[in-house]
Amino acid sequence: MSTVSETISRGRSARRVRIDGWRWGGRAFLVFMLLYTALPMIWMLLTSIKSGFAAMQFPPQWWPDQPTLASYQKLLDPQNSVGQDFLRFFWNSLIVSTATTILSVIVAVPAAYAFSRFTFPGRNFLFFAVLLRNMFPAVIFLVPLFILMRAIGLVNTHGSLVLTYLTFGLPLAIWLLKGFYDNIPVQLEQAARIDGATRFQAFVLIVMPLSTPGVIATAIYSFIGAWNEYIYAYTFLSKNEQLTLPVGIQRFFSENTTDFPGLMAASFMMSVPVVVLFLLLQRYFVRALTEGAVKH
Amino acid sequence: MAHVVLKDLVKTYGSFKAVNDVSLTVNDGEFVALVGPSGCGKTTTLNLVAGLISVTSGDIVIGDRVVNDLDPKDRDIAMVFQNYALYPQKSVYMNLAFPLQMRKLPKDQIDRKVREAARVLDMTQLLERKPRELSGGQQQRVALGRALVRDPAVFLMDEPLSNLDAKLRVQMRSEIKRFHQDLKATIIYVTHDQLEAVTMADRMAVMNGGYLQQYDSPAQVFAHPANMFVASFVGSPAMSLIPLEASTANGGAVLTSAEGWSLALSQRNARKVQKSTTRKVVLGARHSTIKLHKSAVPGAIPAKAYTVEPTGDVTFVQAFLSGAIVNISVSPNVAVAPDEQIWLEFDQERMHLFDSETEMALEAS
Repeated sequence: MSTVSETISRGRSARRVRIDGWRWGGRAFLVFMLLYTALPMIWMLLTSIKSGFAAMQFPPQWWPDQPTLASYQKLLDPQNSVGQDFLRFFWNSLIVSTATTILSVIVAVPAAYAFSRFTFPGRNFLFFAVLLRNMFPAVIFLVPLFILMRAIGLVNTHGSLVLTYLTFGLPLAIWLLKGFYDNIPVQLEQAARIDGATRFQAFVLIVMPLSTPGVIATAIYSFIGAWNEYIYAYTFLSKNEQLTLPVGIQRFFSENTTDFPGLMAASFMMSVPVVVLFLLLQRYFVRALTEGAVKH
Repeated sequence: MAHVVLKDLVKTYGSFKAVNDVSLTVNDGEFVALVGPSGCGKTTTLNLVAGLISVTSGDIVIGDRVVNDLDPKDRDIAMVFQNYALYPQKSVYMNLAFPLQMRKLPKDQIDRKVREAARVLDMTQLLERKPRELSGGQQQRVALGRALVRDPAVFLMDEPLSNLDAKLRVQMRSEIKRFHQDLKATIIYVTHDQLEAVTMADRMAVMNGGYLQQYDSPAQVFAHPANMFVASFVGSPAMSLIPLEASTANGGAVLTSAEGWSLALSQRNARKVQKSTTRKVVLGARHSTIKLHKSAVPGAIPAKAYTVEPTGDVTFVQAFLSGAIVNISVSPNVAVAPDEQIWLEFDQERMHLFDSETEMALEAS
């Protein structure tokens, strides 16, 4: 009898130790991931408040001797030519990303709803066709799309970028949203239609409010994708006054010197809208990703 | 309130016939249950009446209108769903108000009706809550309230109790029945639970494989099942169905088993058996019509007890006869042990005879 209970208790404690091992391993991994993602950001921030000379010192100054906001002042000064450029690039990026976001939501919402709720000829084919684009690396489409844009006269316009970003962002946006609509019980719409709503009213009054988190997640996704995109912006736009931020920031590299504090300050400011957007809307984003995990 | 008529209703999906020539009339103020196993077409039939899916052929009449081509919103119906389908983003008040808002009623009238419905269903204190903050029973009541608030011609209910726990289900069952009695409402109620149908409905429509099997009052369906499916579906435990062969012995009709025993039939039952298309007949007997003897009795058939299930009020004994399971109920003070030799006596007046070929009930005249 005693041997049995001993075996059981030994078995239990052994199991407990193993779980703890996993937990500590998990924590260590999380700490590593945190450092891995946060350190470059911190280094970027530190470099941006150094002088040009301090940034190049070796061994590096971990904490700048004379912190300065000069780089930020220069970038945000509309009198200064660097500032003029930066603000224009920033504005261009904002326009392109916002247009991409709005259009992708306008297209993805009805498309995803249709894929989720209706059966129509070619539904499955179309659904996988929207993913086809994502099976290939983006660069493959660079030249064909450039030729296409030239043919329709969109080279050197922001429209060319918006169109291109839509072809990248839409498939995933539609997939994400379709999953969302799949999780909204169809009975809600049926109830609304019996309660006196038309099909469209049922969608607008009942389904749309419930899918807000999904729409927001989709919007964030589209915005970030467009905001960060480099290679197409670099190829399609050549006029200085049209460049977007990722391409514009390149100008801080030059043959002889690179203004590292300026580059880092610009990079930091470029990440601000994304971070702010994310902080404001993260609860919707998390809800979008975990939707369907609980019983309705 | 209004009556509902289904005329030769058919719904097909590709080559699959979900609903086959279903015709039935629901009278004004009647409570009709559509009952059958999953996939029998009962929910499809209800959705056809609701207008959520379109009919392939046949007619649906609500009141005096053929509603085949009307939108759900124009059919003057209300529906209670199995998962309640409460609008999760709206408060209970707004859930109840929604059907009235859609009909563009003035605000003060909406308020009056919502509060009235809340009072009737005893949930005035819940009006500001969101559906997720309610218990299952309360959600169910809100769903009922949302149907009630509009005063529709017909109430459609799709398994409204199946998400509740057993105790609450019994309670809500009597509440819905009370609701029907008080409102004199026309109700079409879908359920897979024959007990709900039997206890609540004025008439029950038993469906299987998309076909209407029998449409009658629960008492009639119970006493005179039209075929073997209805016989085995309605009643718990299920009616025992024993495959036998008809023959004559000593000038009278008997049913003989492959196991060697035979059962003499009364005059009336003998006439029934004559109607069968082949000699193969199925004997149907409910648990309460079979008498269990612990010693040989003339006319009783020997069997071996297989399982014994005491439930408190009665004890159910299962035995095998001719390869079929036979349920017998006995008083709890009759001690039967598994594998014990028992003798079963069938009540000639209350036994059912079915044609083994057509599965239809055999009638005497």
